[in-house]
Amino acid sequence: MGIPVTPIQHQPKPVHASKHSGSLFNYTLKRAGQSLITVLIVITVVFLLMRLLPVEGYFGDGYDKLDASQREAVLKSMGLLEPWYMQLKNFYVDLFRGDLGTSIIFRPQIPITEIIGPKIPYSAYFGFAALLMSLSLGLCLGVFQAREKGKWFDRLGTGYVVFINAVPAAVYFLFIQLYATQAFKLPILFNKDKPSSWILPAICMSLGGIAGYAMWIRRFMVDELNKDYIKLARAKGLSNTDVMFKHVLRNAFVPMAQYLPTSLLMTIAGSLYIESLYSIPGMGGLLIDAISRQDNPLVQALVLIYSTIGIFGLFMGDVLMAVIDPRIKLDKKGGAR
Amino acid sequence: MVQSILSAKDVVIKFSLRGRVLTAIRGASLELYEGQTLAIVGESGSGKSVFTKSFVGMLDTNGWVESGSIMFEEQDIAKFKGDKQWSTIRGKKIAMVFQDPMTSLNPLRTIGMQIQEVVELHHHLKAAEAKKRTIEILTDVGISSPEDRYSQFPHEFSGGMRQRVVIAIAIACNPKILICDEPTTALDVTIQAQILELIRKLQEQYNLTVIYITHDLGVVANVADQVAVMYAGDIIEYGTAGDIFYNAQHPYTWALLSSLPQLGIKGQPLYSIKGTPPNLFNEIKGDAFAPRNPKALKIDYVERPPYFQVSPTHYARTWLLDPRSPKMDPPETIKHMREKFVRYSV
Repeated sequence: MGIPVTPIQHQPKPVHASKHSGSLFNYTLKRAGQSLITVLIVITVVFLLMRLLPVEGYFGDGYDKLDASQREAVLKSMGLLEPWYMQLKNFYVDLFRGDLGTSIIFRPQIPITEIIGPKIPYSAYFGFAALLMSLSLGLCLGVFQAREKGKWFDRLGTGYVVFINAVPAAVYFLFIQLYATQAFKLPILFNKDKPSSWILPAICMSLGGIAGYAMWIRRFMVDELNKDYIKLARAKGLSNTDVMFKHVLRNAFVPMAQYLPTSLLMTIAGSLYIESLYSIPGMGGLLIDAISRQDNPLVQALVLIYSTIGIFGLFMGDVLMAVIDPRIKLDKKGGAR
Repeated sequence: MVQSILSAKDVVIKFSLRGRVLTAIRGASLELYEGQTLAIVGESGSGKSVFTKSFVGMLDTNGWVESGSIMFEEQDIAKFKGDKQWSTIRGKKIAMVFQDPMTSLNPLRTIGMQIQEVVELHHHLKAAEAKKRTIEILTDVGISSPEDRYSQFPHEFSGGMRQRVVIAIAIACNPKILICDEPTTALDVTIQAQILELIRKLQEQYNLTVIYITHDLGVVANVADQVAVMYAGDIIEYGTAGDIFYNAQHPYTWALLSSLPQLGIKGQPLYSIKGTPPNLFNEIKGDAFAPRNPKALKIDYVERPPYFQVSPTHYARTWLLDPRSPKMDPPETIKHMREKFVRYSV
């Protein structure tokens, strides 16, 4: 009796498919890890930068009214007298317990989740509505511009893009607020119980996005249109519409795909100018306010949210690209495109 | 006698460019015979591509066929307008292969889908049948393990393999005519021969009529039954490969052949044609080649020569063939070729 020999299994592997999906998983994991590290670096750097600001900032207008010992007591109560590495450690310990801390200046002693929480839905609603409008209208505009390249529709669209980009946004935002409210009998300020007051801010917010998406998709489509494989697709006998949608649009979408998730997620960030114009209680401007008043925990929490969103968006964009563009090599270093 | 399959008569093609009108093709005529291989030769900008593009309605949007007729299957395709009419011909009965296989395929779609698209479009097959047919075609163009290759992307193919795929797309629905626009220019020499051989093989298998557009006279000598020489938007000489290589009549054909490195004499500088082709924005009077022809006749500057028949298969547009014109000897190298031809044929 010899040793039982396990037959070596010679199954022909579906080489391509398995390699691709396997490395896509690895790639996603790797990029996720990198993204997480990036978020941590960003938040740590911001944390340290905030600690480098002069302590006078923490007192606002009240600085002169306090004497040295009172000031020290205030700083101590804010936990700012500990060495920076202890502060950083405490911050991370709290963070991993899911505690973002409390505001120290903006609205003292109020948990940050309570400050930010109610604001997110407003910004997110407007952001989402604007994104939906700018994506659908912008892409349509761009696609038809590319189709009608050089004709009057294309010129009209380009005119719109140039107008939006060249004229300061404040000019047409104000114009819309002043005249559109009169013309269409819409409320001039935001009121969460009046649905009609939601319309104008959402439109204003989408104007820039429409121009941006139209410009980019048109540009990418025109790039693709001039490529040789489009000539071949035509020579195959495909109709103009088939060429446009099956070949040009799909390929033009690849460079767009990288930025779509970011813009999708960034909608909750809100728009500083429009929110103040229509007095919408959103997130826009909160970060600037918090920085200028040195409300450290609030700044940290906002930076954490924004950087997570931004970096997660980029991560999603990269994964999306890898999924739709077969040319992206996933296994080799620096092989992407 | 072989049958004519496509016949172009006095085709004039114009382009409007920045408000000016350019005449790219100035009354060119061409007869294409079924099952044969026609090579169209000429320098860059002579209108080779533009002329053949008009057979499939793929002129750039600023160009149009001004006059003349292109008869194919009892229809004048020069009068075709719009995608709908062309879809009965383009890709279905007349297919094209382009110069650069590296950029001719859509980088984001699998090879299989790009071929299948044509099969489905023109044969109206179901997906499974279309896939079977696609794999057959891949085998026909010499791609090994076609089932695996079917789901691969263009970047996983070499240049020569991609050109095979482009050819597969072209022949996917049994076209009558295959137009190859410099099919081997972008490939290296060893691959060139393979691709030419493949086209020759497919020509027999699928009973194709092939048009080669090229400026490589080596390729022409290899593959062509008929040769058309183009200069400044006109076919100035037309005949069998033998007619053109050994009994050329037009001074431009002489000059073109004389500049072949293979015919150069060792130690002497290689012949080159002086001057530049005429500006197609201007109206060309007389023989377009006259300004570059050191031995041009007076009438060459005044009136355009008609086609003179040299033999039943051989036509040339030069006043030299008019009985009234003085006897003009072709250059030494051409005479040398002729002698070789005479010896060869006797």
